[in-house]
Amino acid sequence: MDEVQTKKRKFTWHPKFNKWSYRDRANFKIAMLFLLPWTIGFLAFTLYPMVASLIYSFSIYHSKAPLEWNGFKNYTELFTDELFWTALYNTLYMVAIAVPLTLLFSFFCAVLLNLKVRGQAFYRVIYFLPSIVPTVASTILWLWILNPQAGIMNTVLGYFGINGPNWMTNPAWSKPGLILLGIWGMGSTIVIYLSGLQDVSASLIEAAELDGANWWQRLWNITIPMVSPITLFNLITGVIFMFQYFAQAYVFRGFQNLGYPLNSTLFYSVLLYQNAFQWLKMGYASAMAWVLFIIILICTILLLKVSDRFTYYAG
Amino acid sequence: METTNIPIQQPEMKISSESAQARQRKQARKIKNTFQSLMSHGLIIFFGSFFLVPFLWMLITAFKSNEDVFHTPPRWLPYDNLLVEVNGKQYPLYNVKTDTGIRQLAAIKIIEGVGTFVDPATPSQAMEFEIQQGETKVAEPIMHVSFRWQNFPDAMNRASRPSVNANFWTYFKNSMIIAFFVIMGTLVSNTPVAYAFAKIKFPGRDALFVIVLATMMLPYQITMIPLYLLFNNFLHWGDTFLPIIVPTFFANAYDVFLLRQFFRTIPDEMCDAARVDGASEWQIFTQLVLPLSVPVLATVTVFTFLWAWNDFTGPLLFLTSPKNFTMALGLQDFQSQRSLIWNQLMAAATVFTIPIVIAFFFAQKTFIQGIKLTGSKE
Repeated sequence: MDEVQTKKRKFTWHPKFNKWSYRDRANFKIAMLFLLPWTIGFLAFTLYPMVASLIYSFSIYHSKAPLEWNGFKNYTELFTDELFWTALYNTLYMVAIAVPLTLLFSFFCAVLLNLKVRGQAFYRVIYFLPSIVPTVASTILWLWILNPQAGIMNTVLGYFGINGPNWMTNPAWSKPGLILLGIWGMGSTIVIYLSGLQDVSASLIEAAELDGANWWQRLWNITIPMVSPITLFNLITGVIFMFQYFAQAYVFRGFQNLGYPLNSTLFYSVLLYQNAFQWLKMGYASAMAWVLFIIILICTILLLKVSDRFTYYAG
Repeated sequence: METTNIPIQQPEMKISSESAQARQRKQARKIKNTFQSLMSHGLIIFFGSFFLVPFLWMLITAFKSNEDVFHTPPRWLPYDNLLVEVNGKQYPLYNVKTDTGIRQLAAIKIIEGVGTFVDPATPSQAMEFEIQQGETKVAEPIMHVSFRWQNFPDAMNRASRPSVNANFWTYFKNSMIIAFFVIMGTLVSNTPVAYAFAKIKFPGRDALFVIVLATMMLPYQITMIPLYLLFNNFLHWGDTFLPIIVPTFFANAYDVFLLRQFFRTIPDEMCDAARVDGASEWQIFTQLVLPLSVPVLATVTVFTFLWAWNDFTGPLLFLTSPKNFTMALGLQDFQSQRSLIWNQLMAAATVFTIPIVIAFFFAQKTFIQGIKLTGSKE
């Protein structure tokens, strides 16, 4: 009987709406009005595209011709696609090398910037400034810096007697070039670490100092465990960012030469973009996007699980 | 107010042989401190140069002349031809190896490796020299440190593609228009949503908030293709700013989260008091909570500006004709079309960066606070 009655009713806000108190009902109604922008946005720009993308990923779709069901073929084709594995390798290379390197170096920089020296505020601005340079500008700047003939990178390396590589044309050095660009603009990671370092309790450090712990012991046994939640946060955001690495790689090579040299800068998102908008294989690209989502999800969950043992939450 | 002074008994100072030792120890500590501070400064400056030098190199290159850009090894300051006035016109001065030794002559014109030179003192006598004879350079331009400001107007007025009536001023204007509307949209749409999550106690609030946060996990690549088709083929918004601007009017998880965190710090008692006085939720939101939230609104404004100004993928997907390009897209286009004029590229990159640097110096605290807020989840 109950079910029939609820079905008859024209509109209900919520399945249990009528069991709530008057206050709850009023609050719910007004809250729904406040949430309207998000609700519409979620339906139109998140939920609809998600469903559509999932359908595309199981079909052949060129946007001009109607959709054609393709079953799991897009997914199985992925695993035999050599370019897919190249792109995945390149992306994992960045995740495995660029992300830890960035974390390590930005922690080191944060420790430096936390030293009590005169001009500390000025130094902090210097370290932070590159991170606000827009991506396209900083990428073009680094193209110029890494220019093998007239670039300053190889000139400066020359001062130390190092013969700099051909950053742009040597497939072994194109990714390290991009890593340098990433490290240059990691100011926000430094700031997050710095705020973490400032939260490390001074009394704990002093106590260790009184007990005779040297600088290295204090860093290793107190500071690093105390900032481990921040490391985890930076690690996860860094990994998610790297899996979606796109703009830098695109600007680095331009539309005509994506992936140059020898597909060494062909990253996952770049290949996805090529499939979707250069070769108009939108179904295939959607399948790639879902595989990417699953990879990111697995990595995040793994990191969270593994980090449980290494992360210390104070309080 | 009266203060009571408690006399502090000073321990008697012992002047004995110990004081010399103490002084010595003090001095040793002082030396150690100075050494440590020097070491700190040294380390900070050494690693800081990695951050500073590329930034300066952008500025230096932006001021270089065409002749200086590809000079090897690169010079750390911008150089330009030394000019001399001959018959009311400016000509570059050259060191020319003549039969009578090296002379400083003005180059009137250089065609296919043969230069016509005159002595600035006796402008009527023209001489011709081959610039390069075999391995030896006969004539070499005299360079001096000079900042070529002209690069900036040159770069800005230059169209990234020939025969296209759009230059960097157009791109700059487009970026500003987009940034303005994106900021509007972000502020208008996210604040009420964040208010509902922070200040209205409604059933199912926490579950809904989890869904909001979960959307952060979704990579852009998944929604990208359907959105592209929706905006281009269904709504016919292709090559307009609408696909970039309109979604920002419908709230996003990051800003909702950021704003909610701040709104929660406003005491509930204040809102409840207003409710008792008969204020509606809308009145509490607009007249109580928003005025108290100026700092976080500033943070959102600054970060939205940064994001909109920086965004490359959105314009790349939706803007196709150069007259609609943003700075990011225009600069990339400029680089891919004319990749060798690094001085003008760097001048354009500098102009692209300046608004953000200005924003940073005006709102430094807001910047840093915003980054810390994103870094500190509950």
